[in-house]
Amino acid sequence: MEVLLGITGQDFTLIAASKAAMRGATVLKAADDKTRSLNKHTLMAFSGEAGDTVQFAEYIQANAQLYSMRNEADLSPSALAHFVRGELASSLRSRKPYNVNLLLGGVDPITHKSSLYWLDYLASLAPVPYAAHGYAQYYCLSILDKHHHPDISLEQGIKLLNLCTDELKRRLPIDFKGMVVKAVTKDGIIDIEFDDDKVVKSA
Amino acid sequence: MSSPFSINGGACVAMVGKDCVAIACDLRLGLQALTVSNNFPKIFQYGDNVFLGLTGLATDVSTVSDLFRYKVNMYRLREERQIAPRTFANLVSSSLYEKRFGPWFVSPVVAGLDPKTGQPFICGFDSIGCIDFAKDFIVSGTASEQLFGMCESLWEPGLDADQLFETISQSLLNAVDRDALSGWGAHVYIIEKDKVTKRLLKGRQD
Amino acid sequence: MADRYSFSLTTFSPSGKLVQIEYALNAVNQGVTALGIKATNGIVLATEKKSSSPLADPSSLSKISLITPNIGMVYSGMGPDYRVLVDRARKVSHTGYKRIYNEYPPTRILVQDVARVMQEATQSGGVRPYGVSLLIAGWDEGILPEEEIEAKEGEEGKKLSGKTGGILKGGPMLYQVDPSGSYFPWKATAIGKSATTAKTFLEKRYTEGLELEDAVHIALLTLKETIEGEMNGETIEIGIVGPPADHLLGVEGVEGAVGPRFRKLTPQEIEDYLTNL
Repeated sequence: MEVLLGITGQDFTLIAASKAAMRGATVLKAADDKTRSLNKHTLMAFSGEAGDTVQFAEYIQANAQLYSMRNEADLSPSALAHFVRGELASSLRSRKPYNVNLLLGGVDPITHKSSLYWLDYLASLAPVPYAAHGYAQYYCLSILDKHHHPDISLEQGIKLLNLCTDELKRRLPIDFKGMVVKAVTKDGIIDIEFDDDKVVKSA
Repeated sequence: MSSPFSINGGACVAMVGKDCVAIACDLRLGLQALTVSNNFPKIFQYGDNVFLGLTGLATDVSTVSDLFRYKVNMYRLREERQIAPRTFANLVSSSLYEKRFGPWFVSPVVAGLDPKTGQPFICGFDSIGCIDFAKDFIVSGTASEQLFGMCESLWEPGLDADQLFETISQSLLNAVDRDALSGWGAHVYIIEKDKVTKRLLKGRQD
Repeated sequence: MADRYSFSLTTFSPSGKLVQIEYALNAVNQGVTALGIKATNGIVLATEKKSSSPLADPSSLSKISLITPNIGMVYSGMGPDYRVLVDRARKVSHTGYKRIYNEYPPTRILVQDVARVMQEATQSGGVRPYGVSLLIAGWDEGILPEEEIEAKEGEEGKKLSGKTGGILKGGPMLYQVDPSGSYFPWKATAIGKSATTAKTFLEKRYTEGLELEDAVHIALLTLKETIEGEMNGETIEIGIVGPPADHLLGVEGVEGAVGPRFRKLTPQEIEDYLTNL
């Protein structure tokens, strides 16, 4: 029941991930951060098999940072997305593949174009205007289909995100303990205050 | 339903015309019945008039298209010439067979014009590289049965570039409408001697 | 422990030379002369077949070899080294090309592959350079349309067949490969003992727009200048790259089948050329 959401807009990319760390039906932690920043303007959210997720994400994070240190220049979100795909694709046909789904959001440091990449454990990569992973896809993609526009502002983006989380609270059988929400803008990655305590009435 | 060839969905078709060829694909990327993206092209260019269409498992579509970009770039550097469609088709065949006992889950289609004679060239492959040479058309993907039907009824020999565009577009569009896993827009390439035209068909978005 | 390390025998002298390679060239320059001439419609490779004893059976000796149906090779220098290179060239033309692209390599690609083998022998541990220079002759199919080649020729105002070789146009190509691994394309050249004499002779006799028949003629005349023994069908070896030799296919009536362009002349054919000399 992990939730990953991503929304792009005019000059930003929003990434949101559920706070619950679960094992079976048990919530082990209610303030988990399922995101890692790869560099100043690229953020990655991950879900999947416990252990694989953080291990893989931090491996990618370390390599992205190593690249930045060696070259005194950051990889673009597109370059990072294709790098991650390559790693995941070679993992897929290895003895023990990583079971990790990812969203990669960023803003190009030069063109200021926002971008979002959807990547699953099979290493299928797709650039998308908005995305979700897991069961959230079935509830949120239709909402995003209806309300998303490529040139929305950050405020509108957060409103759209609220529409999604409200629906998730209404429909998901297990409490996902709210969302960690971050936005990538041309100035870097910023934490977004998000009201997790809002009560949504059931349908 | 959980065959690797039908997880993500997708369709591709190539056709021969008079001194021209056409190749077209849909744009859907899905997970079973859920559509994730309507911007996932499945046709890749490897020379002035050499095209490869790849349907099947999306991750392998990306991996295999990248692999051939590498191989064809190396060929071009080594031989200081563009690869010919027939040579490329044989490269595809031998590369796929290399993975005979752990294949890429793709069904490739090659389309192009022979640089020496200007003759149209199309062929298709199974996932382990068996080549299917054809004089008329090649289909692949989850809508292949529907495409066979459309092509059998619409295609005729000697179509010029404009007629070929109409024929391949109608064949693809109407085939994917009867396949839940394909559609959501299309790319169509018409390849003539000194001209390649790429058109984007919006298609039904439902 | 001793087998753990292996050092290259070819090392730089203080003056910057690789003397092992120079020694290899010395071996080549003591070898029997071989020559090649490129014509507009083919190539001729020729060499002398020297037997050490009148008891030797010359028909079993062969110095010109077919590598692919369109490419042939001759050498000057050490015979055993040459046979190793012929084997490698035949092998790599399949593993590195035909089994991948289902067609035979163009001449330059084959030459580069053979040259790589020879270069590696100058930089690897525990081996010596090959004591041979090679002449490799082949015909390329090319990928340019025929009419385009003719149009280009029209611009230059020449009226030849237009195919002067190469991967794009197609046509005959003649290369020399040395023990260092360097290679050169030639219109006509010679290697071995009398290479200098032969090349001076070729410079005088070579003309642009030469036809294959004339080239064979010139090859024999050049050989005559340098040869030590008698010239006849048994003592001369000639290989030609010419029009497809469909009679060598072994089958008839197979659609699309094209015979090899490279073939060796029979002693009888050589005798015929010699009588007309």
